[in-house]
Amino acid sequence: MARACAGDLDAYEDLVARYTAAAHRAAVLLGAGDDADDVVQEAFVKAYRKLRWCRADTAFRPWLLAIVANETRNLHRSRRRRDALVLRAASRADPSVSGPDDPAAAALAAERRAALVAAVGALDERDRDVLVCRFLLDLSEAETAVALGWPRGTVKSRTARALHRLRARLDADLTKGVGRA
Amino acid sequence: MPDPRDDQLAGELRDLGQWLVTPAPPDLRTAVRERLSAGSPRRTSRRWLAAAAAVLLALVIAVVPQTRTAVAHAATALLRFAGIELESAPRSGSLPATPSPLPSTQFATLDEARRQARFSIGVPARLGPPESIQLADHDATGAPRVVSLLYRGGTVRLDEFDGELEPYFAKKIDTAGVVWADVHGHPAVWIPTPHPITYIDRHGVRHDEAARLAGATLIWQGAITYRLEGQLTADDALAIARSTG
Repeated sequence: MARACAGDLDAYEDLVARYTAAAHRAAVLLGAGDDADDVVQEAFVKAYRKLRWCRADTAFRPWLLAIVANETRNLHRSRRRRDALVLRAASRADPSVSGPDDPAAAALAAERRAALVAAVGALDERDRDVLVCRFLLDLSEAETAVALGWPRGTVKSRTARALHRLRARLDADLTKGVGRA
Repeated sequence: MPDPRDDQLAGELRDLGQWLVTPAPPDLRTAVRERLSAGSPRRTSRRWLAAAAAVLLALVIAVVPQTRTAVAHAATALLRFAGIELESAPRSGSLPATPSPLPSTQFATLDEARRQARFSIGVPARLGPPESIQLADHDATGAPRVVSLLYRGGTVRLDEFDGELEPYFAKKIDTAGVVWADVHGHPAVWIPTPHPITYIDRHGVRHDEAARLAGATLIWQGAITYRLEGQLTADDALAIARSTG
């Protein structure tokens, strides 16, 4: 990290190799879709230019994710859409992920996940961003604050609010579902 | 009070992360390296983009420690911040022995400076009224481009200018120890080591003949750009910056 900060391209290449997967996943989940590769490439180029002005002890990951999040927002603005989260096809589901053997229960769980994805997608951008960072990417409050450029208190309050709204939406969908049945 | 149902929902979202399609990450090492080696920013904001170069005053040169070797470090990097171009590069050649001051420098009172300058002049409450004030590089109407407030016999100086417009100063710095800071929510940069500084005049001409070695410097941006230089600790400099209004 210190060598990368001093402008050593070999050292920076190691950082690129180490953090590409995390940055790419963040870009995809924040809605960059097929443009995630470009977003991450741009983020690494910008991070390098800014790197020499950061201290070697600064945590690199949340700081890089902040640039990724920003680039992704720019992308949404320029193409006026945000790519939705995509669920894996059920057949490709990893059986190690607490999958119940009961096919009916598995189908219910899959349905619930689809409902979650749809409900998250219907939230407004900031609610979605905070839920993606905190839970889908499993960042801490402090890391989320850096990644989204918000004060930590805002992360806390907006997380609570976003969860509340998400639940209200899910409950409403459920009621509609019951009404149809 | 968090609703337990929200906690449960948070758990479901954490679990959901594993069920989402995320394509395999690309190998970006070569692409990133090529772009960095080419050194061409694809998109930069106006402020960072402004071209290079310029001169600054010689008043302080006598009191600044002449540790020029401290400035020589490899790696070419460029950062444009608030009308100041910062460059991390090995230094070649030596600085002029007797750098000339900023173009058309004249002394003024605070009132005169406020009347003549096109921007609002900030005075740091922590330092109080300046001992003297210099106006430099006047335009045809007599408005100065740079206003400098001098303190402690000239060993502490605060340069003020509208850095949104174009670059005013070029600095070559040793990036070790350079730290980002924050002044009332605006970014600031602290350069702890002596470094050569050059003034870029209003025509974009770089006055290398006036290059000199600047001491520890804090640069920050409020309504205008401030450049505080002198024998100060980072904490002192930040306290002064935060008291400027």
